[in-house]
Amino acid sequence: MTRAQRATEEKEEGTRATRLQRARLIALAVLTSVALFSFSSVTLRSLSAAGAAARPGAIRGRVELRRPPVASDRRPTVTDLGTPAGRDVPDLLRSVVYLASAPRGAFETSDGGHAVMDQRNESFVPHVLAITTGTTVDFPNSDRFYHNVFSLSKPKTFDLGRYAAGHSKSIRFDRAGIVRVFCDIHSHMNAYILVFSHPFFALTDGDGRYRIDNVPPGTYGIVAWNEGTPSDTQAVTVPDGGTAEIDFTIR
Amino acid sequence: MKVWTSAAAGLAWLFLACAATAHAQTLPSEPIEFGGGHVTVGGDVSATYSCALPIDGVCGNDVGFFNYTDYAQSALRLFRVDVSAAVKAGPHFTVLSEVRSENINTVQPYALYLRVRPWSSKDFDIQVGRVPPTFGAFLRHSYANDNPLIGYPLAYQYLTTLRPDSLPASAEELVKKKSTGWLVRYSVGDPTFQAGVPLVTAFSWDTGVQGHATVGIVSATAAITTGTLSNPLFKEDNDGRQLAARVEVRPAAGLVAGTSFARGAFVSQSAARAAVGSEANENSYAQTAWGGDLEYSHGYYLIRAETIFSSWRLPTATPPATQMPIEDALTAFSTSLEGRYKVQPRLYVAARFDRLMFSDITDATGLSQPWDAPVRRIEVGTGYSLQRNLVLKLSYQYNHRDGGILAQQAKFAAAQLVYWF
Repeated sequence: MTRAQRATEEKEEGTRATRLQRARLIALAVLTSVALFSFSSVTLRSLSAAGAAARPGAIRGRVELRRPPVASDRRPTVTDLGTPAGRDVPDLLRSVVYLASAPRGAFETSDGGHAVMDQRNESFVPHVLAITTGTTVDFPNSDRFYHNVFSLSKPKTFDLGRYAAGHSKSIRFDRAGIVRVFCDIHSHMNAYILVFSHPFFALTDGDGRYRIDNVPPGTYGIVAWNEGTPSDTQAVTVPDGGTAEIDFTIR
Repeated sequence: MKVWTSAAAGLAWLFLACAATAHAQTLPSEPIEFGGGHVTVGGDVSATYSCALPIDGVCGNDVGFFNYTDYAQSALRLFRVDVSAAVKAGPHFTVLSEVRSENINTVQPYALYLRVRPWSSKDFDIQVGRVPPTFGAFLRHSYANDNPLIGYPLAYQYLTTLRPDSLPASAEELVKKKSTGWLVRYSVGDPTFQAGVPLVTAFSWDTGVQGHATVGIVSATAAITTGTLSNPLFKEDNDGRQLAARVEVRPAAGLVAGTSFARGAFVSQSAARAAVGSEANENSYAQTAWGGDLEYSHGYYLIRAETIFSSWRLPTATPPATQMPIEDALTAFSTSLEGRYKVQPRLYVAARFDRLMFSDITDATGLSQPWDAPVRRIEVGTGYSLQRNLVLKLSYQYNHRDGGILAQQAKFAAAQLVYWF
């Protein structure tokens, strides 16, 4: 065999090997795709079946405040020439109850719509607002004089400047956390905005009662919060289509 | 020396507090209440330090005494603690007080008065005791955090060469003391060196009775007190009383226009008698002042303007033969324009322009000149909120005085930390 014939044979063998390798790779890719498709179909079917079977439940209960908070008074400004005008005392008895650990899928970002925090008679109304991320809060001024809403909190730092009665300014809250809101002109005016990345929270009523609906069955951590003070995290199990009851005591 | 040590210690303390709390709201931010809500206590702590420029290795002093106050201390090197309290005794009575310590030297009762509201439904109050000043606008913003800059307007702080208890015998003697209001004495009355007086002092309050009423957009205040704007008193030193009045209008949100008037016996009885003998009528040796002020704010800016005209009539002592007696009233005129703009939620910039002028007086040679050296001041600065109630201010202040025997120009770089609750 001449050197040229040997070279030609070697070349043909190399080409055959390359073709074989390519064929193996294609086969492996097809098999992998089929396997993945089959696995995901099974998974999706099983998840879908599970979703259809589980009915959302609810959590309800009561928050007791051992030492109900008292609204702070004005600073004793001795330079005032007369008694300052009367003001509304904010409702500090409302607490917020929320899931510390939320079900999977609850953290999808969405347009949270609008909420309103009014400035009325030198008070923010409501004093506590609980919203989801993506919510825009409107701050109308219903007093005859200026207010200047601002916050230096990490989840949202803003300053709306001074604006008069009948005007409103808005801020969108995109980060979860607790935002303390103040007025730059009236130092006794303050409020809380609790921004959640999931919808499983509720404000208590005047008696401290709350109810969180549409909670997928499962076991979660749950917390009650009032005026900057959270309760210990408690475990709650929401039954399939049922209601779990849990009470809290703060302070 | 003790003053500087105290101020530096105060500044260091506040810097430590600032460092400890920059990332957390750990210091109280609300007034403290006790006694079932009947007693409310608030506070305001500020530490200020400044250096005269240019700095040649050491921090220069205010050798021109541009920023000295009633207490012979510089407003730009001051550690001040204010504690104020309101004690409510039912719907009609409140006792308000404020004690102040400057450079940890003394504790002064700055304010102590009873506020009576006879009718709960009517916006009318009577205040008795060491009452808030009726005159002017700046004293409504006397807390350190209400002042966007570090220095004070000239009318409320700059010490003129006038004293209520020591009097110049002639025009020549008065003009010779130009610019020495920090420490001055004359040949008639008290022979010791003491500080002169500003047009309106921001550093002590007067004692008396004050009435205040608001109807719609108009507020009116009137007071009868023992001292004067320049020299508030706790105990009377002459037979005269001061009458002060202020009318304030708020025609639109953010707009406040005010006008003030005050007249009161200025010269002490002992000085008046030393000047003109037993015929002295202290009531006629009065300080008379008029003021106008305007404030407008909207969005992120705030503008304030204030002008004050003050005149002092002194007893005409018998001068040396070759000198001219002081027969006309001595007048001073001040104008102040201040602005603040919020750049970011935590950051603002501010500036103030001030001018203080004095009327001319003629000596025996026929030469007319201002009786004290006119001063102008420009201050620009910034404030940064480390937290809501902890603000760091930085400012640059330029002062110029036309004439006088002390330094005619001074520039300062100043820093102030303010904490309040």
